[in-house]
Amino acid sequence: MRRAALAALAVTMAVGLAVRGQEAAPPEVPKPAPHWADGRISFSGSPQDVGNWEGPANATIFFEVVNGKVSKPRASLPTNPEFKDVPFQPWARDLYLKRQAGLQADDPHTRCKPSGGPRMFHTPYGIEILDLPETKEVIVLAVGAPHSWRIIYTDGREHPKDMKPSWYGHSTGKWEGESLVIDSVGYNDRAWLTREGVPKSTKLHLVERISRPNHDQLKYEAVVDDPGAYTATWGGGWYLRWSEGNEPFDYLCQENNRDPARMTGPKGG
Amino acid sequence: MTSASSVNKRFLATAGFATLLIASSLLLYGCGKSGSAAATPAPRYADGSIRLDREPGEKGFWDMPSATSLVEEGVTVATDARGKLANLADAEKVAPFQPWSLALFKYRQEHDLADDPMKVCIGPGSPRQMMTPGGVRILQDKNYNRVYLIFGGGNRNWRVIYMDGRTPPSPDEVTGTFLGNSVGKWEGDSLTAESIGFNTRFWFSNSGLPHTEALKLTERYTRVSHDVLEYEVTIDDSRTYTRTWKAKWTLKWMPGDMEEQFCEDGRE
Amino acid sequence: MSVSNSLWARAALLAAVAGMAALATTAQAHHSFAAQYDSAKPVNLTGVVTSVEWTNPHVYIYIDTTDAKTKKVTNWGFEMGPPHMLQKAGWKRNSLKIGEVVVVEGWLARDGTHHGNARRVTRKATGEVLGAASSNAQTLAGNANAKPPVAVAAPASGAK
Repeated sequence: MRRAALAALAVTMAVGLAVRGQEAAPPEVPKPAPHWADGRISFSGSPQDVGNWEGPANATIFFEVVNGKVSKPRASLPTNPEFKDVPFQPWARDLYLKRQAGLQADDPHTRCKPSGGPRMFHTPYGIEILDLPETKEVIVLAVGAPHSWRIIYTDGREHPKDMKPSWYGHSTGKWEGESLVIDSVGYNDRAWLTREGVPKSTKLHLVERISRPNHDQLKYEAVVDDPGAYTATWGGGWYLRWSEGNEPFDYLCQENNRDPARMTGPKGG
Repeated sequence: MTSASSVNKRFLATAGFATLLIASSLLLYGCGKSGSAAATPAPRYADGSIRLDREPGEKGFWDMPSATSLVEEGVTVATDARGKLANLADAEKVAPFQPWSLALFKYRQEHDLADDPMKVCIGPGSPRQMMTPGGVRILQDKNYNRVYLIFGGGNRNWRVIYMDGRTPPSPDEVTGTFLGNSVGKWEGDSLTAESIGFNTRFWFSNSGLPHTEALKLTERYTRVSHDVLEYEVTIDDSRTYTRTWKAKWTLKWMPGDMEEQFCEDGRE
Repeated sequence: MSVSNSLWARAALLAAVAGMAALATTAQAHHSFAAQYDSAKPVNLTGVVTSVEWTNPHVYIYIDTTDAKTKKVTNWGFEMGPPHMLQKAGWKRNSLKIGEVVVVEGWLARDGTHHGNARRVTRKATGEVLGAASSNAQTLAGNANAKPPVAVAAPASGAK
């Protein structure tokens, strides 16, 4: 009986550890990233290699201190800054801390609002990246949250002057070798830059770099140039994990959404 | 030297030119049917298959639906752009109702569509999304053999039509959404899709036509010319209507890109 | 209860706590979890299924629990992942029958109501364990690679 009990304990702990390891750690023997017939890098799959990109649950754009230690989630880039080194303006730091203290109760994402920028890349249920060179655009479909789509124009156009602030802003992109570099302006200040509640202002100029170092990893890097909320440019990122077999599936936020009413934060009801 | 005949000629020429200008404006910018005999044919891929989206180097999207409410083909009733009937007595003509669904439809009409879930940012769903201003693009993914529709109106959603011949999910197991679960195929130059898996939290027409989870839609997309997409939908809901019925309308190809819009209902 | 059974029970409890502790520390940052649920307040309830809401964005199940002493019946609601993710974890829309007895493990809601976020549901009659694709356990049961649950055999007769 004791042996069985110990075995049960061991299995449960192994499961717990395995869960930790399921984030986008570099694979043992990385399979090379696929390419299209014309030689361009593919951020997609094929009918024999169906899948898309899972937003890692733990990834953060900077490293927080948890229980006195700097917490470095495995999916986050090792080069990410620590919280203490992020050049917040005082109001932005206060807002971030307030959102953290409130346990993200006011998150517009749970009210089915879209998230432009980094947050789209760590929202669960998968994203599909459609690279359309014929029409010179890249379209990102998100399964989760607002089940919406983002468009990145790769036709060389400029950002429009006097943009009305919007959720997704205006994104132009170009290929630098096998990386897609995206330049975006025109964001409103309502969506959170990341799930943790990192603030942004309407002055945000966001530069993102997406690359695929191997078949199973998508590297996402964001440079935050936001003189309305930060005193200097800073950035961070994470790895998304290839979710084998995942297809864009039926999901919607608005049907029976009870979360906002229940998101009371630490105070409770 | 002016003479009566040359004045007449000039008048006729000016009038003629003005008419041409007005007519071509209506053709280009109006929302009505465009039946020009000189319409540019629908673009095709190198393999001859129809392109439902942009040609290389082009911009554009589908919008300006020719119908503003869902009414059975062949039936003519007056409705406004919101779907409200001018004449409540016309209600029973709109679709082949069962008694319960006619009563519910009339209730919704009588109450000025007050309970329309789109007011609280529930999406338009299918097929109402195809009649919702804001635009749609139809992207053919030849790699995965899927078609994606990306919408500019409503909640800026997208849907996928799986074209690989897969068996649709069992109606007992499919997750109910507003846009359904779709499988499709090409029939000549027309894209057809069958969709099941609808929940009942949305109005599938702006007029408040009822439906149940038994709803099954069959759609047919035909790009009859470069600028015109014909959309035909067959409604099959044996719990709501006494038989299947269909409706048809067109969308126009518009220049440029879809604007970003999201529903805001003020409930943060 | 015999000595071997109490050892089994104690080890099972230890294992459950260790497992839940391991899970609680991995997926802290999901959008809605922490604001709604307290991962420091695990809950483990046995009750009778009264309803299942098979909807997006979250499936909800409701159970009636009966207090052993007072016999008072309380209805509890539990939030789980979306239907698609539960299907990947082996659920069907009608997996749970109204009236069947289940054990629900999860975390308590912060708002003081009889509500929680389910991590796992065990069907008493069969011992079948269904992962909940909970937003707090997204990396375990809520990803595309989740395999259908393996039925857990009930402990030997005589044990609780």
